[in-house]
Amino acid sequence: MQRDVGSLPLSPALRARLLSAGFQTAQELLETGPCGLSKEIGISKEEALEALQVVRQECGCDAAKTAGGSGTARKCTALELLEEEQAQGFIITFCSALDNILGGGVQLTKITEICGAPGVGKTQLCMQLAVDVQIPECFGGVAGEAVFIDTEGSFMVDRVADIAAACVQHCQLIAEAHQEEDHLKALETFSLESILSHIYYFRCRDYIELLAQVYLLPDFISEHSKVRLVVIDGIAFPFRHDFEDLSLRTRLLNGLAQQLIIIANDHKSAVVLTNQMTTRFGQSQSMLVPALGESWGHAATVRVIFHWDNTQRLATLYKSPSQKESTIPYNITVSISFGMEIFHLVRSSNCEIMNWSYSCSVSIEVVSQDFTYILQPQGFRDVQPPPLTQNAEGTEMNPRKRPRREEEK
Amino acid sequence: QGSMATKKLRRAKLSQELCERLSRYHITTCQDFLCLSLLELMKVTGQSYRNVQKLLQKVSLACAPKMQTAYEMKVRRSVNPSAAFLPTSLHGLDKVLHGGIPCGSLTELTSPPGCGKTQFCITMSVLATLPVSMGGLDGAVIYIDTESAFSAERLIEIAGNRFPTYFDSDEKLFCMTCNVHLYRELTCDSVLKRIQSLEEEIISKKIKLIIIDSVASVVRKEFDTKLQGNLAERSNFLARGASLLKYLAEEFSIPVSYSFLSFCFTVSNNKIQE
Repeated sequence: MQRDVGSLPLSPALRARLLSAGFQTAQELLETGPCGLSKEIGISKEEALEALQVVRQECGCDAAKTAGGSGTARKCTALELLEEEQAQGFIITFCSALDNILGGGVQLTKITEICGAPGVGKTQLCMQLAVDVQIPECFGGVAGEAVFIDTEGSFMVDRVADIAAACVQHCQLIAEAHQEEDHLKALETFSLESILSHIYYFRCRDYIELLAQVYLLPDFISEHSKVRLVVIDGIAFPFRHDFEDLSLRTRLLNGLAQQLIIIANDHKSAVVLTNQMTTRFGQSQSMLVPALGESWGHAATVRVIFHWDNTQRLATLYKSPSQKESTIPYNITVSISFGMEIFHLVRSSNCEIMNWSYSCSVSIEVVSQDFTYILQPQGFRDVQPPPLTQNAEGTEMNPRKRPRREEEK
Repeated sequence: QGSMATKKLRRAKLSQELCERLSRYHITTCQDFLCLSLLELMKVTGQSYRNVQKLLQKVSLACAPKMQTAYEMKVRRSVNPSAAFLPTSLHGLDKVLHGGIPCGSLTELTSPPGCGKTQFCITMSVLATLPVSMGGLDGAVIYIDTESAFSAERLIEIAGNRFPTYFDSDEKLFCMTCNVHLYRELTCDSVLKRIQSLEEEIISKKIKLIIIDSVASVVRKEFDTKLQGNLAERSNFLARGASLLKYLAEEFSIPVSYSFLSFCFTVSNNKIQE
């Protein structure tokens, strides 16, 4: 009740009037009443009433806090939080090594950021997660729905259909092995069609559409209360060009981060963002770092960097509050039964203008007249696995190369 | 280009009075509005925190994209499968690409010099003009050439050699050449301007494919990456170009391809049948 007038969420003009009339605390306003207030500061009775309602609502909350009541949902003891965390669901990725370093999978109520060069598999993982979040509880999933916000246009619905079909098949295999009632019942509604119907897709073409969509997201999720995953594929793309005012960019990104944290917590959802890499020039060398600057690094709770070591894809847990930093190899495989895909694609480090490569869905590289690589950075397509016969020299001959046949010429 | 950012606030269903008040602060578009902090918004609108949040909802609703479920997207694609790819006529490549160069997205073609990118692009140009029954897109091509590597003679030669039964008369060849619109752009700026002007061309000329032959050459000419300052400018140009092309590719559902060293953009326009 001793709340200072200056801190009340009234319009600035009104606040100025109140202060110049000598009002100091919220209590004084409430005691004066609407009629008295309107006379004293020269506003209409309706305006005065509205202002008092605002004050009452604000102070209503305050009273609860000072009374030491259960207050808002955002206050609790560490023990309560521990219980919550342990009960917290994870969204599995189907790559057990990746799930392990993450501590079980992508965690609900946290923001996980996936950084990496083009073609490394960020969108793949997002599409996989949009399917995996829907796995029924009896199969170890969180039975949720997914919001997919796409800023780069890399979402490939055919691929998601493949992943979904593989996931359903995987669950069917489990159900067959265990023969339990609830498994079979869950499978009745867990189908390709239902999975695709519960991925809510938004294509944001620039940062304004992205900002607008994130403002509207809490309302959307309230209406679709089963949403447990929000993916923003390409948080960097809309902010990387046409932004001369870097301080504006930082402010907008911070605002976005805050809103996403609130969404993650209030709706018990996992938020997954993908970020690009950029070159940072050091004293003598340059290195690849996540884009959007250092302050953005604070936004995500968990940061994973996908990168290459020759032809092997690696995932490094870069930042996490509870897991230690570690690197694991992973594959994206073409496999009918498990939905994880093996990428036998090699992203050539010679791709100098990398920024451009982030934009394309399919990349075809002709290396020489004898060999052809197919690189498909974002639009994942099933690629024939390389012939299993390993070359005697081992690393000398890249398994991705295949001789161009005569008929192709 | 089709940007929500420049949408004027009065089209966001804000009251006339409010729009006038905001315009005094030079806030006229949705972009201006959404870039302000809550405190700034309270100041310029003169309204309370709660009301400002309601205004933010309104403006966001005017800018935000429409929601579709993945299921709806799949259904739409399966309704018109032939519109999804432009086959390259190289069987191995088409097989791996699941049909050909995908429509509605950007395809990048890179290689060291002399491997045949320009030839590939010229061939794709011919293919795009072929009727759908022959695997073509039955449309016109925009060919943006930054190296003056395009040869009309070669175009005719390839057409005549690859499809002798179809191009059985001079008239047919002539008709095909009328459908390939060549633009020579020698600087990054002019390439960008050209891309910006494409939206109307695509509709008026029934374009089904866009090719940019050599993004890299024009970028390398102008931006020496040894100079640090240039990196940002170059990234800017590339990012803007890419997002414009993506918009075109998606909006008109055409494949856009570009070659890296020799940029080949094959952009096919494939209008989705409603």
